[in-house]
Formats: sequence, structure tokens, C-alpha cells
Amino acid sequence: MNDAHDKTALFSYRTLEEDSSEVKAILRKVYEALQDKGYNPFGQIVGYLLSGDPTFITSHKNARSLIAQLERDVILEELVKHYLQKS
Amino acid sequence: MSRLIVEGGRPLRGSVEISGAKNSALAIVVAAALATEGECVLDNIPRGSDVATICQILQDLGAEVWYDDQDRLHVKGQNLHKHQASYDLVRRMRASFYSAGLLLARLGRAEVPLPGGCAIGSRPVDYHIKGFSQLGADVTIEHGYMKAEAGRLKGSHIYINRASVGTTINLMIAASLAEGTTVLENAAKEPEVVDLAIFLNGMGAKVRGAGTDSIRIEGVETLRGIEYSIIPDRIEAGTFMLAAAITGGDIVLKSVVAEHLRVPIVKLEEAGVTITRGDNELHVVAPNRLQAVDVETLPYPGFPTDLQQPFVAAMCVAEGTSVIRETIFDRFRYVDELRRMGADIKTEQNTAIVRGVPQLTGAPVEITDLRAGAALAIAALAAQGRTELYGVEILDRGYEFFEDKLRQLGAQIYRE
Repeated sequence: MNDAHDKTALFSYRTLEEDSSEVKAILRKVYEALQDKGYNPFGQIVGYLLSGDPTFITSHKNARSLIAQLERDVILEELVKHYLQKS
Repeated sequence: MSRLIVEGGRPLRGSVEISGAKNSALAIVVAAALATEGECVLDNIPRGSDVATICQILQDLGAEVWYDDQDRLHVKGQNLHKHQASYDLVRRMRASFYSAGLLLARLGRAEVPLPGGCAIGSRPVDYHIKGFSQLGADVTIEHGYMKAEAGRLKGSHIYINRASVGTTINLMIAASLAEGTTVLENAAKEPEVVDLAIFLNGMGAKVRGAGTDSIRIEGVETLRGIEYSIIPDRIEAGTFMLAAAITGGDIVLKSVVAEHLRVPIVKLEEAGVTITRGDNELHVVAPNRLQAVDVETLPYPGFPTDLQQPFVAAMCVAEGTSVIRETIFDRFRYVDELRRMGADIKTEQNTAIVRGVPQLTGAPVEITDLRAGAALAIAALAAQGRTELYGVEILDRGYEFFEDKLRQLGAQIYRE
């Protein structure tokens, strides 16, 4: 047996709450960056979510790289969940 | 008439800044003249001869167009008044037909010659014309001109038979000031369409769905001037990646959107090239010899037809046999020129079968269209000895500082 299997391994995992707060934090930063640059943030974020084209998101304040850290379906799921839980 | 001389056989090394996208620039410069309040200030506009032509067309129609000392292009469209576009200017390239969408939106009538462009098969503007009719214009074709009268265009539901980039762009420009809502179904999804939508929205337009196959445009009364920087040229970036690949080079491309090059990156990786993504840059490291890879061109996000020719050039020296299928345009005329350099290529209808040879040899060759010019230039970079490229003015239409950038990467290339 490989030695690696005898050692204690540490696994990291994320809770749903952590995912949710990360999406929220990133969306807020992206929103602010788009607003700073004079775009309509909602239209731009929706454009990105629909098409996946990163040019909808400004590179100002590293917003484009930030949003690329999240899968679009994860963002959408969070948005739908949040909306339905609020209403 | 000038020609390019290339002394081949040197791997490219170093870094290169990618220019703004030519095909985006052509659409956005025209759309900038939709503004009736203020002026548009456009950054990252490449200095190719196609862009110069579109600027001349706008000036001829009454718009003011000039570069400032920071190389930004200013477009002020308030005084646009002439509805007839010049034959001498429009016949030079296909994108000049965007002036028809502009004139219909701004003046309610247009007389525009049917356009020219690269020699890559027949590409009629029927879909543009059908779209203008569906937006309420009364269109006739007479003496080589499209004549259209509309008053104010009216929003409509339009199905574009083939997901054409040119048609999508022209109808977006026309519909932005129309009365009511226009829906474009089967719209092109190319990044240049998205760039135009973002620009138009900045001007006050209401365009939704760009980058998908359904674009909705709610017409507005007026648009205003804004400052805008256009996207990097994915075709230029892809061409430099292929130039590095064919020469066994190691280069960094700066100012690129890697997402726009997803499929070309996958294909180059299959060929043995190592590509590392950085922040707005790509590091491209080629093996000593590429592996043969099959490619089929498709609308975005598929492999772009504008990179088919440079890709075939790279496959000419790959190990093995590649099958390249062109599904967008009739675009294999240039392979005769590659054969003159020792390439082993057979074409059957829309397919090229490329058997890789160990080495190409320099030869005098003729550039037949814009992307063929890029293909021949990169083949020349890898070839043994001297290649002379004739028809270099075709290459100047779409590549800014092409030989300067290649020289910066160590290529021996000069114009005489």
C-alpha cells in the first residue's frame, strides 16, 4: 500500500452558508466596480449570467477575475434561492 | 506596390500587446454616429486601413471624426445629413454596409452601394436588407445600390436565417432608435456583438440578450456620446499564438480575453502547445514540432473561420495528417500559395487534408485575402530561407503594426 494512505489527511469543505456569503460578497464588489465605471450594473451582470462573456464585467477593481471564480449556475441558484426565500 | 520580405526559421520570443478588435471597431465607430448629444471618444481602436475607410465614410456623410493626441478616436454624429454613401468608399469592404443601418436609424432613408470585401466567396447582404424591410423600410435594389425609405423604423420580430455577425450588428444599429421593441432570433453570439451591445447600452440604448441567440432591443428616442474602450482582437491574438506555435516559440500575449479564445486554445493544446492563462495575458510555449489536429470552423463559440487559414499554415509542418473543414465561407484559395512553399495539402470541396512536412521553404507568394495574408506570413516565419509576400496592402486592412510586432518578437521581417 502507498505510504500516503497511512498518513492523516485533512480535507477542507465548504458549507452552503459559506458558498452563499461568497457569492454575495463577490456580487457586491462586482456591482460597485460596474457602478464606478458608469455601467448599469444589473444589465451587465444579467448579460454575463446569460452569455458567459466576461467583457460584460469590467476589469476595474479586479471585478472580472473575481466573478470568474464562481460558476454561473452557482450564482443563479443563489439569486433564485435568495429571491424565493425573501418573498 | 510594396511587399513583405521574411527570412524564416527563427523561433518567436518575448511579449506582444494585442490591439483592439478590428471587427468590433468597425461596428462601434459607425454606431458612435447614432449619438445626437455629445461625442463618442473611443479607445483601443486599431489603425488598419478598414478602420480608416469607415472613418472616411462617416466624414463623407457629415459626421466629424478625428484622433486626439492620445490616439483616441472622436466621433461626433450631430451633423450627419447625407443619406447617400460613396461607391468608391463602400465597395472597399463589407462592413461599410453598417452605414445603411446608421442612416436608416438617424435619417430614415439610405442609399448605400452593395459592398465589396475579401475574396472569400459570395456573401450577399440579403439578410440585412430583409431585416430593414421587416423594420418597416421600403427597400429597392437599383443600379448596384440599396435604396431604403422608412421615416422612423418600427420594432419587429426578426428571424435571421443564418446567424450572421454582419446582419446582427447592422440590425442592432438600425433598431436602437426604432419605435418599439425589436427581437432578433438566431442572432450571432460573437464577442464583437456583445461589445457593440455594451457600447450601445452605455449610450442609453436598451439592448438585452447579446451573446445569446435572442437579442431584444427596445428602441429609444435619442442616444448620447460616451467614452468607451473596445475589446482586444481575438483573431490577432490567435494569429500570434499560431505564429509562436509554428516557429517553436515562447511568447506572452498581453491584453487578451482568454475566454474569447477558448476553442483555439484547446486545439493548440491538442497540438502540443502549452498555454498558461494569466491576468489578461496568455503565455504560449510551443514544442519542437506540433502534432496534427483536426478542426472544423463554426460560429462562436466554435473555432473561428478567421483563424482557419493560419491554423492550416501551422498544420503544414505538424507531425501527421490534419483534416480541416471550413463550414462558414469558401476559403481555400490560398492553399495554392502554401503549396508553393512545399506544403502538402489536398482540398475537396470545403475540406483541406494537410499532411505535415518537416520543413517549408521560402518562395514568392501572393496574398489573396486578409486572413490568407496572416497564414502566409506565419508560414514564412517557419520556412527555410526567404519568402516574398505580394499584395501586402490586403494584410494592412486588418492587422495593426503587424511586422513591427513580429520584429519585436525576433522575426526577420521587413517591407520594401
